[in-house]
Amino acid sequence: MNKPALYLSAASTISHQPTFRNPGFSVGLGPVEASSALISPDYKAYIEAGLLRRMSKILRMSVACAKDCMEQAGIAQPDAIVVGTGLGCLQDTEKFLNTSLTVEGLLPPTSFIQSTHNTMAGQISLSLGNHGYNMTHTQNTLSFEHALLDAAMLLREGDRNVLVGAADEHIDILEDIARQLAFEANAPLTSAASFFVLSAENQGNASAGLADVYTSGGTEYGQEDIDAFLDRNGLQAGDVDLALYAGTPVQGAARNVDYLPLAGVYPTASAFALHYALDVFATNSEVRNVLICNGLRKSNLGLTLLKAFEA
Amino acid sequence: MGVCITGIGVVSAIGMSVKENLSALREGRTGIGPLHYLQGTKASLAGEVKASNDALRAALGVGTEYVSRTSLLGLQAAREAWGDNKRSGVIRTGLISATSVGGMDRSEVFYKNYLAQNNPDYRLLTTHDSGSTTERIAKELGITGYINTLSTACSSGVNAIMLGARLILQGTLDRVLVGGSDALSVFTIDGFRSLMIYDDQWCRPFDDNRAGLNLGEGAGFLLLEGEKSIELTGNRPICNVSGWANAADAYHQTASSPDGKGATLAIEHAIRRAGIGLDQISYVNAHGTGTKNNDHSESVALQNVFGDRIPPFSSTKAFTGHTLAAAGAIEAVFSVLAIQHNLIFPNLNYRTPIAETGLVPATQLEAGAEVNAVLSNSFGFGGNNSSLVLTKYE
Amino acid sequence: MDSLKEDLKKQIIEQLNLEDLTVADIADDALLFNDQGLGLDSIDALELIVLLEKYHGIQLTNPEEGKEAFKSIDTMAAYIRKRKAA
Repeated sequence: MNKPALYLSAASTISHQPTFRNPGFSVGLGPVEASSALISPDYKAYIEAGLLRRMSKILRMSVACAKDCMEQAGIAQPDAIVVGTGLGCLQDTEKFLNTSLTVEGLLPPTSFIQSTHNTMAGQISLSLGNHGYNMTHTQNTLSFEHALLDAAMLLREGDRNVLVGAADEHIDILEDIARQLAFEANAPLTSAASFFVLSAENQGNASAGLADVYTSGGTEYGQEDIDAFLDRNGLQAGDVDLALYAGTPVQGAARNVDYLPLAGVYPTASAFALHYALDVFATNSEVRNVLICNGLRKSNLGLTLLKAFEA
Repeated sequence: MGVCITGIGVVSAIGMSVKENLSALREGRTGIGPLHYLQGTKASLAGEVKASNDALRAALGVGTEYVSRTSLLGLQAAREAWGDNKRSGVIRTGLISATSVGGMDRSEVFYKNYLAQNNPDYRLLTTHDSGSTTERIAKELGITGYINTLSTACSSGVNAIMLGARLILQGTLDRVLVGGSDALSVFTIDGFRSLMIYDDQWCRPFDDNRAGLNLGEGAGFLLLEGEKSIELTGNRPICNVSGWANAADAYHQTASSPDGKGATLAIEHAIRRAGIGLDQISYVNAHGTGTKNNDHSESVALQNVFGDRIPPFSSTKAFTGHTLAAAGAIEAVFSVLAIQHNLIFPNLNYRTPIAETGLVPATQLEAGAEVNAVLSNSFGFGGNNSSLVLTKYE
Repeated sequence: MDSLKEDLKKQIIEQLNLEDLTVADIADDALLFNDQGLGLDSIDALELIVLLEKYHGIQLTNPEEGKEAFKSIDTMAAYIRKRKAA
């Protein structure tokens, strides 16, 4: 597939790590601590007070990252807003579920309104006053890759700048559920949001381009799927300078880094890996090809290939 | 040749199949009534699918109890749309479903026991996330590869069809099963009651005295194929998916703008994408939920686009109830039926025009004129507006 | 000082998450749904209906009815007193 690369002209992440407005964060970044908490910026600098007062964690993170991306990319409006979320607005969902089961009288509606998965994308459109395409993908661990694929298609259909991102939030009951369902993870469960501006043309600030994205669900994947993906992009495993993986390392890559200990575990953690990769490109000019291999769930494979631009 | 629809499937309060839904639509028979299967809600009326989870599981041959009603309804409609098509190593096949509640019908059973510390069954939560609803349908049909779920509240179903069509046109997939599914739950019924837009009486879309919606449940699926796939399957196209658009209203979290901005953009762009004239739209299957706000805003949008030459239009929600993420897909199936059988479905319960707009929907089944192109609207929370144009296959 | 009005202000701040406001910031005659006042919207109106039931035992089933009652703290207090006297 010889599609032209797409430009990543802004990136913004709020997470348990010092990622927000902190270029170079990838250098020497250690694993996220079990006792860590979300590192929140002063949200008032990004979100109107009237909207902020109702917003749960996932909404605050998402709108602040979106606003930050607009500023970085220097554009007033994206042509489209595309969001991926594995579990959606858990805080408001649990709140309304609780209210619905325990309150006899009238129920306060705010948490119900904000329980739908498209609340992030909707709130971003409201905050920006954006009337473009507005989409929310929710496919478990592949939600972000599906959002990226959609954004890439929009650019090939003629859009110029697409705001694309992912968000998931941690709530306390998840710990209990993970224990009861014997969910094993090599890192703590966390919350985070990452947003990007994907552009058809270089705005002059992109360090790397998105060469290809691929998803596969419903079948256990193997190294041959990864090789086939690299092959359609004219690469071999040995050409991959850095593989950021969840699950199994990429055989033959020059260097493998498990991104879950860095991001923490949440369904759209591969969006953190994308921002991390862009930061690596910006700080290390020797890195040419980065592959993000998302095997957080064995039956789902997400592959994202990034290439450095010639300086 | 574009993107063709070669199979349809639907389950709703008015029937378990395309055939049953069509005869109810022809006969003006609603499926809205008191609830029989979902317990513990304060709703007096809803559009419930007339089958228990056990009956659905038995009919579909699904062994496990750890399956949401949303998955079961989706599977019922997806199987019908898929028909006797075969898996293929050459035809790249995908599945896109849309859901708003996912496995909430199971999660609320868990959470009730969890709060009461009454031996909650944590495995019920394995069906909670919306993506798992689609994964279950894919597994039962043997579809692997591109499997995706969209969740944009009440416009989700149309968005799934739109994404499927785009994936075919871009050459990413050759064939894709697209649709949406949502089951009734205490959560959503309580939610719409908390917004004070749940009508305790039978809903009255586009009527001046409308007082809200009745929720419903169900699923709709359509099999979309591109040229390559049709050459190999030999399937006969029923209709084309010709136009689509999604636009944000960016007005308010729940309410639609009084000037119908987002809806107007979606309708205009969808018709432009279809490349047909405004006068070629034979019928509009409106979103028409029966809420004060939607029906007014949608009427204004129709006037913005069509002026005083609005095509015959109706909402079918007084038949099925508002099925949330499934609505756009179910109504796309109804739109295919309108084209296939040259029908315009009646808008039940309409008496008086909305004072501000004065629009009069179709109130009787019309079976005389040719129906060549249908516009179907779905508008949702967060100002998410989608429109679809389906045309007769030529 | 009118204690019903003070209570209403506290309840509104809590129910609507008006984190940055204190009772002293809300004038009795400030227009609640005006941008020069508190800038509330239709979701807040529903929350106020819940508030009336929760704290004052007053049921208001038609949101339209709330429009007059929810103009300001003054009108809310008057509405509550009228309903309770009836």
